[in-house]
Amino acid sequence: MSNPVNNIVVFVCNWDGLSCVEAASQKGLRYPPTVRIIRVSCLSRVHSGLILKAFELGADGVMLLGCEQGNCHYEKDAGLLEQEYHKTQSVLELLGFQKEQLELARMSRGDGAGFVKQVTHFISGVEQSQAPVSQ
Amino acid sequence: MSDIEREIKETNIRLCLDCGKCTVVCPVAQYDPEFNPRLIAKRGSAPNNREPDKTIWACLSCYMCVERCNYHVKFPRFVHALRAEAFADGTQVQCSHGGSFYTLMRMMSRKNLQQKRMDWLPGDVKLAEGYETLFFVGCAPYFDAMFQDLEVNTLDGVKGALKLLNRAQIPFNIMANERCCGRDLLLQGDKKGFTALARANKEEFERLGVKRIITNCPECYYTLKVDYPDIPGGTGIEVLHLTEVITPLLQNGKLNLGKLNKKVTYQDPCTLGRCSRIFDEPRQILKAAGLELAEMEPSREKALCCGATSWLQCGAVNRQIQKQRLAQAEASGAEILVTACPKCQIHLRCAQKSDNSKSPGVEIIDLAGLAARSLD
Repeated sequence: MSNPVNNIVVFVCNWDGLSCVEAASQKGLRYPPTVRIIRVSCLSRVHSGLILKAFELGADGVMLLGCEQGNCHYEKDAGLLEQEYHKTQSVLELLGFQKEQLELARMSRGDGAGFVKQVTHFISGVEQSQAPVSQ
Repeated sequence: MSDIEREIKETNIRLCLDCGKCTVVCPVAQYDPEFNPRLIAKRGSAPNNREPDKTIWACLSCYMCVERCNYHVKFPRFVHALRAEAFADGTQVQCSHGGSFYTLMRMMSRKNLQQKRMDWLPGDVKLAEGYETLFFVGCAPYFDAMFQDLEVNTLDGVKGALKLLNRAQIPFNIMANERCCGRDLLLQGDKKGFTALARANKEEFERLGVKRIITNCPECYYTLKVDYPDIPGGTGIEVLHLTEVITPLLQNGKLNLGKLNKKVTYQDPCTLGRCSRIFDEPRQILKAAGLELAEMEPSREKALCCGATSWLQCGAVNRQIQKQRLAQAEASGAEILVTACPKCQIHLRCAQKSDNSKSPGVEIIDLAGLAARSLD
């Protein structure tokens, strides 16, 4: 049985990540209105505190959308981002969340259709996972 | 009487003679001229002065000032009251680690929380059927997840504690959905958040029929013992630190540790030492495990704090205190720095890791973890 998913937060980096979202809107592609996009300079800016805060404020799922490996505008994201992603994943699992509720996606520049496919797939994964720990 | 007026009375802050000894011994004031406990006490207790004091967040609650004060003015508790006042007024508090721990604690107070925090439990640990005696694990599973990059192993201490209790044939059980004790919220000034967590834990204790709690974490120990009885309805549960349980058994021969033959030094956690007056028991455990204890200078009542507290501030001043403590550990000539607090372990390990230029430094191990190794 799937659960209703009302809040999906997507942290997107200002570069390839955002270009995918913009391409999707320019092409008039549709994705669920439950998706809230938060633009950051680089995904390295997104630490465990911000991800956990999103869940505290009622997010059902958090997706991190950034540049493909090696394409980071600041050439810095690989280590920091992966580290924060993995540790937040472990903490969320301890808290009783499902691992489907946090996802790291890397996409090539301007892939609007890819973004819509990815975020829709992510939402259905969250829906099929157990009931999110609500407030 | 307002909260702050009551705290001014109960902390004896009006007995302050303005002598400044607190400031002389304060580890923060040593490196940060802006931080002055004497002036905080003076400003905070002045009538009709409710101006927010920006320096209160730097206090480590290390109790060094209380130790030195001729009138035992409870300065840390007064600072907690000032913080609670500022927090209630909506002051934005500076948090280390992006506020992760505060968010975690607030999420843990949710009613429908179903944690999956027992995966670490070794299969050979024998748990009792009932919950008459509860072992309160603390946030060690979260610490180890959050500080993977520091390679800390705070669960080693918890596993060691369980092994010691099993060997001593003391029956105990563990709560699968145990929540944080809430001490850090209390220290941050978030009384409401603390009460929510404390109530949730209290309800679980009552549901399971807990009569006695043993814990290895000094912060949980102090909070469960001193702060929980103050929440509405109290708890009426006996709270013991692991060292208080193990030491008598070592003395009367009911538990025997092996011999490790190493030279160690011991970091007195502020909350266990100056706060809870447990100085001798940890040292007796080290002695019983055949370890040679080389004391740091200073130690016991005058031991230096590990430099950070309550996930509030972690800056250059905190780092200097940590480096000073690590230098004192090196000077003692010990191979291992033993501590009884997961947070001391995290903070000192972090300071070691940040110092790339030098050798790896002393190994940092939890007291219970080390004592349990002697059983192998």
